[in-house]
Amino acid sequence: MRLRLLLAAAVSTAVAPASPAADAPAPRPSVPALIDKYLDAAIADAGVTPAGQADDATLVRRLTLDLVGRIPTAAEADAYVASTDPDKRAKLVDRLLASPGFARHQAALFEAMFYPEGNGRGSGAFREYLTAAVRENKPWDKVFREVLTPDETDPKLKGAAEFVRSRVSDADKLTNDVSVTFFGVNVSCAQCHDHPLVADWTQDHFYGMKAFLARTFDNGGFLGERGYGTVKYKPTKGPERTARMMFLTGTVVEDPSGKEPTADDMKKEKAELDKAKAAKTPPPAPAFRARAKLVEVALADANADFFARNLVNRMWHRYFGAGLVGPLDQMHSENPPAHPDLLAALARDVRANGYDLQRLTRGLVMSQAYARSSRYESEGRPDGKLFAVARLKPMTPTQLAASLKIAATDPAALDGKPDEVEKKLEQLEASARGFAALIASPSDHFQIGVGEALLFSNGDRLTKEFLTDGPGTALGRVKTMADPKEAVGFLVKTAFGRPATAEETDALAAYVGKRKGREADAYRQVLWALVTGPEFRFSY
Amino acid sequence: MPRSHFCRSADHALNRRAFLGGLAAAGATLAADMTQLNALASPGVNAALKKTQKRVILLWLAGGASQLETWDPKPGAVTGGPFRSIQTDVPGLRISELMPEMAKRMKTTCVIRGLDTKNGDHGSGAKVMMRGRRDEAGLRYPDLGAVLAREMGRPDSTVPDYVTFYTQTEGRSFAPGDAGFLGARYAPMELTTGSSPEYIKKLADMTDADHEERAALRDLVGKGFAAGRSSETLSSQSEAYGRVRGLMASAKLFDASGEPAAVKARYGPTQFGEQCLIARRLVEAGVPFVRVARAWWDSHGQNFETHQEMVPELDRVMSALIDDLGERGLSNDVMVVTLAEFGRTPSINASLGRDHFASAWSCTLTGCGVKGGSVYGKTDEKGQKVVAENVDAGSLFATIYSALGINPEKNYHVGSRPIPLVNPGVEAVKAVLK
Repeated sequence: MRLRLLLAAAVSTAVAPASPAADAPAPRPSVPALIDKYLDAAIADAGVTPAGQADDATLVRRLTLDLVGRIPTAAEADAYVASTDPDKRAKLVDRLLASPGFARHQAALFEAMFYPEGNGRGSGAFREYLTAAVRENKPWDKVFREVLTPDETDPKLKGAAEFVRSRVSDADKLTNDVSVTFFGVNVSCAQCHDHPLVADWTQDHFYGMKAFLARTFDNGGFLGERGYGTVKYKPTKGPERTARMMFLTGTVVEDPSGKEPTADDMKKEKAELDKAKAAKTPPPAPAFRARAKLVEVALADANADFFARNLVNRMWHRYFGAGLVGPLDQMHSENPPAHPDLLAALARDVRANGYDLQRLTRGLVMSQAYARSSRYESEGRPDGKLFAVARLKPMTPTQLAASLKIAATDPAALDGKPDEVEKKLEQLEASARGFAALIASPSDHFQIGVGEALLFSNGDRLTKEFLTDGPGTALGRVKTMADPKEAVGFLVKTAFGRPATAEETDALAAYVGKRKGREADAYRQVLWALVTGPEFRFSY
Repeated sequence: MPRSHFCRSADHALNRRAFLGGLAAAGATLAADMTQLNALASPGVNAALKKTQKRVILLWLAGGASQLETWDPKPGAVTGGPFRSIQTDVPGLRISELMPEMAKRMKTTCVIRGLDTKNGDHGSGAKVMMRGRRDEAGLRYPDLGAVLAREMGRPDSTVPDYVTFYTQTEGRSFAPGDAGFLGARYAPMELTTGSSPEYIKKLADMTDADHEERAALRDLVGKGFAAGRSSETLSSQSEAYGRVRGLMASAKLFDASGEPAAVKARYGPTQFGEQCLIARRLVEAGVPFVRVARAWWDSHGQNFETHQEMVPELDRVMSALIDDLGERGLSNDVMVVTLAEFGRTPSINASLGRDHFASAWSCTLTGCGVKGGSVYGKTDEKGQKVVAENVDAGSLFATIYSALGINPEKNYHVGSRPIPLVNPGVEAVKAVLK
């Protein structure tokens, strides 16, 4: 009940039209300004000093990894660091948002969100759908609608059906996964009894959500939906109940036509389904479409806050390495956000702007908070919830493998016409996929296992697929350098995108110096020591 | 002792099933319990752990061995099959004649005959029997090996924490080792192609000195980066690389060729025997959990031929392992478990096979805090159902944890949500605990 009141209050302020008494509406603050206003106030309240802004080399690496899923090429990093354009960051962000790598990388991240199990892989068709959606900057509410109620006659949208289809045999899982993915709410706890500590979630919520989804079934590879069918459940007390279709906010949807079919109806239905199956077409939709009703009610003004807040929280998590609400599937009144007003303001903004992912993304990464350094050397490291210091983000398997390929490539081979470089980068990414499959996907509280350390230390794939020294490779290029200091400096630059420190140059050159006559091995080992280290493994 | 249910719901007193869906995260007042990981790193704690560390060897009878041809024979019943039962060294306890060696050693072992685990599907049955419960829609539980790796493993350990041998291909994908929410740090070292793990030996074209100095160079460069930075994942990476050289030194543990001929002979010439001998070497060196899978017991046809061939091997290897551990003074520190995803139907099908059966089957526990010679659970004359002392997967796991000195009610935390090792309300079988 409490939640409903809270939400009602939030929603009424969110959608209230500008007061007619106001003269001219004040211009809306930009997303970065919103973020910095709220966070700076919280940091000041806490009496801590935030980390300073990251340097250019760090920022270009962070933005490139976060937006397009790889480290920058040396040419990209150099150009950014050297530029004196005061708008260089905004221009870089715009270039990255428009690049094909953005669609590929973001689609992979969304895919992992839709398929949190199985190392984040769905079907190829689903990935294609997501890639196209990101490329077109499809509004997130439209993605939601297409994923839940896909038009399977449109070949471009067929992949969208995979999310529901792959869960159709388990309505409980479908119910929970829809709630978690789109609303940040894990209702599985309320499957067996009302949530004991979180008053928000009762069995009515779980079965209420399930009632929208339980009429869905597979009909010869297409999604079918019945116009009837109820969900019954046994509450912890009292007799069995029939669940009403109820959204998480308590909004109930009545199905006026929903009566049990007669034997005749069933026969007719079966004939229609068989016909559709034989014709390989989607079965006819019922007059009352429960999944479509769920979409409608979830996006209605009075209820859309869940949808908007979840989107903001997930995108915040993507760029800041932790959610404003964490864990991501625990958005409820007992687990308040780190910065409630900020989350509310961003949710309002994303609703007012048509769930525009690029706008939100640009806003997040253009904030000062995003650009803080991840290093904090003085005493009294601020609480992570203040976002006063940037978090280290472990790379995803594809980020890591693609970045390894780039670090192992001669930077000269990645410097040229943008189109050609882009094509080359895409090839490198594709060639890294096999190795990426050997690496674990990060989650919150991710721990790197010894398996990864053994694979990198003793597996031959890193050596054979990445640390080669033929033409066009970084190690090949090093062969042409007579001075070990120049050579190790070059390797540090290709791996880390920054100049080597004097200590690093000395230590690495000394390592090579001890291996006279087998310099090729020595340089390979130097590059190994760089790319297996934490500076390479993380986005920092 | 009064139970403390995190959710404090009275429902659990009434209805255990009601809890299986679990709880979602609690309020933010409960901090995540990540400190325990670091607590293990202090040397004082290590020494204490080392002294009391218990270990487990799980003999995984993949596909489902028949309880009727092993631990719960029903000679003479219509369901009994052709084999007789024989008297063991425990008065009143008879097992299948296919296990003459174990019959001489039942004083060491506890038989649980009342397993009723409800799940007769290979994949989900194996999941339940390796975790002690079903996964929830939003939560993947760690399996027994991962829990022991977490409880008994040490951050600086020079041996792996969780090793699993599964060399045959049948059923392997049904029962992978899985650290669930505990994460990659506790994932098993899986051996599927032979008896020596992948990547444990350096590449041949590299000298050992280079391998070692290269690692030192990596650490040196990384040190500058780590200054002023702090993250759980960053520490785990440095810990993982820190263990590489030690683990490589443990490669020799996987090579049993140097064992005395008499010891090797005792385990027999099979790969299962060899891997059990390696398992003994591993636990002796401090590996907390080793699973040796033997496949494929799924005898839908010709059940009796299958068991006539496979049970004697199990009998020989298991008794060799128990003797070996005993002679090395490890009986109180190492538990040997035989378990599968389920047992087999008492009724014999038209192909003279037995099918999947999870309502009345058996497993064994040997060593540590388990009462040798005890039998828990009674099935009816035909073996169709448990008539007394029913044990489900949860209470079996609570029993194993208790015997190892681990409190089954101990909580892990996923986010802020506390997750006990076994579901609330699940009790250990005290009758078989010392």
